[in-house]
Amino acid sequence: MMSEVRSAAVLPRPLVVAKARVEPVADTDTAWVRLVYRYLAWSTAWLVFGTLVGEYLGIKFVRPDLDHLAWLSFGRLRPVHTNTVFWGWSSLAMLGMALYVVPKTSRRSLYSFPLAYLSLALINISVLVGDLLLMNGVTNGAQEYREYIWPVQAVFAVGVILIAYNLIRTIATRDVEEIYISNWYIMGGILWTIALLVIAYIPWYQQNGISETVIQGFYMHMGVGMWFTPIVLGLTYYSLPRLLNKPIYSYSLGVLAFWTQMVFYSMIGAHHFIFAPIPWWLQTVAIIFSVGMVVTLAAGTGNFLLTMRGSGRMIARSYSLPFILAGVLSYFLFSFQGTFEALRPLQALWHFTNYTVAHSHLTMYGFVAFLIWGTVYGLVPRMTGHEPPALGVGIHFWFALIGLLLYSIALMIGGTMQGDNWIAGNPFIHSVTDMLPYWLWRAVGGSLMFVSHLVFAWNVWAMRPRAAAIATAAAGSARS
Amino acid sequence: MTFDVGRNHWLLFGVSFFGFIGLAFIVGIGPAIWVQDHTRPLPGAVAPTADETAGLHVYVSEGCVYCHTQQVRPLEMDNVWGRPSAPGDYAFVNALDVWRPYAPAVLGSERTGPDLSNVGTRQGSDVWQYLHLYNPRSVVDGSVMPAFPWLFDVKPAAAPGDTVVPVPAAYAPAHGVVVPNARGRVLVAYLLARKQVPMEGYGGAPSTGAAPAATSGAN
Repeated sequence: MMSEVRSAAVLPRPLVVAKARVEPVADTDTAWVRLVYRYLAWSTAWLVFGTLVGEYLGIKFVRPDLDHLAWLSFGRLRPVHTNTVFWGWSSLAMLGMALYVVPKTSRRSLYSFPLAYLSLALINISVLVGDLLLMNGVTNGAQEYREYIWPVQAVFAVGVILIAYNLIRTIATRDVEEIYISNWYIMGGILWTIALLVIAYIPWYQQNGISETVIQGFYMHMGVGMWFTPIVLGLTYYSLPRLLNKPIYSYSLGVLAFWTQMVFYSMIGAHHFIFAPIPWWLQTVAIIFSVGMVVTLAAGTGNFLLTMRGSGRMIARSYSLPFILAGVLSYFLFSFQGTFEALRPLQALWHFTNYTVAHSHLTMYGFVAFLIWGTVYGLVPRMTGHEPPALGVGIHFWFALIGLLLYSIALMIGGTMQGDNWIAGNPFIHSVTDMLPYWLWRAVGGSLMFVSHLVFAWNVWAMRPRAAAIATAAAGSARS
Repeated sequence: MTFDVGRNHWLLFGVSFFGFIGLAFIVGIGPAIWVQDHTRPLPGAVAPTADETAGLHVYVSEGCVYCHTQQVRPLEMDNVWGRPSAPGDYAFVNALDVWRPYAPAVLGSERTGPDLSNVGTRQGSDVWQYLHLYNPRSVVDGSVMPAFPWLFDVKPAAAPGDTVVPVPAAYAPAHGVVVPNARGRVLVAYLLARKQVPMEGYGGAPSTGAAPAATSGAN
């Protein structure tokens, strides 16, 4: 007895708290697991590359003479950063997870594996070629998130259309009567984005600076809100109940949020061009529906939080659920922030400032990336039978979260100061030189985020499928 | 055949897909067609020259729009940049080429650097523009704009007809003279042509209200 106490006293304090391990049941379809993992691996590579570029751009605000190479100049690299993390990282990661969730909830196998690999290849090719062209100065016209010229984006679109076909055929032959709510969101996001890409790349109604701006406002908003938002919400409607082992709080709230997402969100693109010389009524409609989005937000977030209610200890003991909790809270807080930004008095202060940059990172990172990570950590160990190291997941979570907060709080304060400088009528250069300390903090936060992505890449490697292990895990589950 | 969207996938996907396209016509395609049909160059506006159009290509290709707006809002703080922008200001911003059959996004979304709607009036010296592009810090202390040395050639000596850029010693190359190349020249031609066309009763004077001058019942 005494010796036991003594030995416990000299034990070193563990560096990480014990986290619940997933049950050792791996999905036995190795071809399916490998397909999903390929998507994840490629998306992780794009994440590391895309955020390395972002990190470099952040440093350039503090050291503008870091290099004098055309291919690495700010104006050419900025779209490389945004497009890589959009189409390479976030898109491939969430599509990969969708290729798991849709067949799983339809209780059948994926319609076609070769088609899914073809989609992966097409999307990879479009990001690679698109990035190289951008660095060479070939851009569609510097419209945000549609900088890839049409032949490149068409390759991406074909990849998405093939995925849509693949998943629709899977859902159409499902072995359950109801279409699970996840598949509403996932298929909604994919179909809306196909329509959006076609609308955004048809040239006839974009022949002068103003008509192009109307389409750009519509496009840049839907590119985020009708693609990333519904698909990561759809993934969460699957992963959250599965990880908590209880049903979603309300199916009807999910349905309400789906239809309001489609109707309200579609109307608010013009809020990116408040006070621009586009029709005033269009700006007002955008502001009104931005406020209407609070309904969608409250329904979606409330549904997730009420599902989590009473499971606090389970979330604390899990290494994937904290990512989902952070993502859900970000979804509510920072989409709500977007509603506020759309109001004319606040838009007058914050438009054109770095506040916007903070907002886009809080949403694309705090909301979209965190929900993707929560889903990846929650589902991939259940597919491959291999868990990531607890220390690695902990470093990833805290570095990403603290980095994001440093990054965006610095830019929100700095952005507000930019706007104040302009309103006060100070010489313009003041709004630049006053930003330097905030740009420095942004670079510090960005560095933490980038380091967390390297750790994430290591964790993804640790979760890789291994032929022998899958067989063992399957045998183990069969015995138990 | 059921009309329950939760069970009939063709109904669910059809309503989502075509419903979204319908909404896109209301707030995207429809307004775009309308403004395109109703936008004319302002009276007194001159069509861009071939050099200025080539300069717009360089402006877009180097990503200037990510930090510079060409969009003066009807707000008091924007008065320093000129009169509020009008749709007609962008009538001459047209499709680039067959690979980019759309007007480029010159209105911009960030103002890390100054608005350029009227930069030709404000800073009309080509020498200043060349110096600034070669290295912004040679003329503006505290600027964070990238340097664009690839818009210039460094030659041992100036040829006849060359514009020699008087780069201060701290920023100049060790040997030779700095001369803008073709891309640099057209970019500066484009920048110097950024001059707002005056609009009677609508430009210059601050806070005169949003009412434009009477336009002989053009509405």
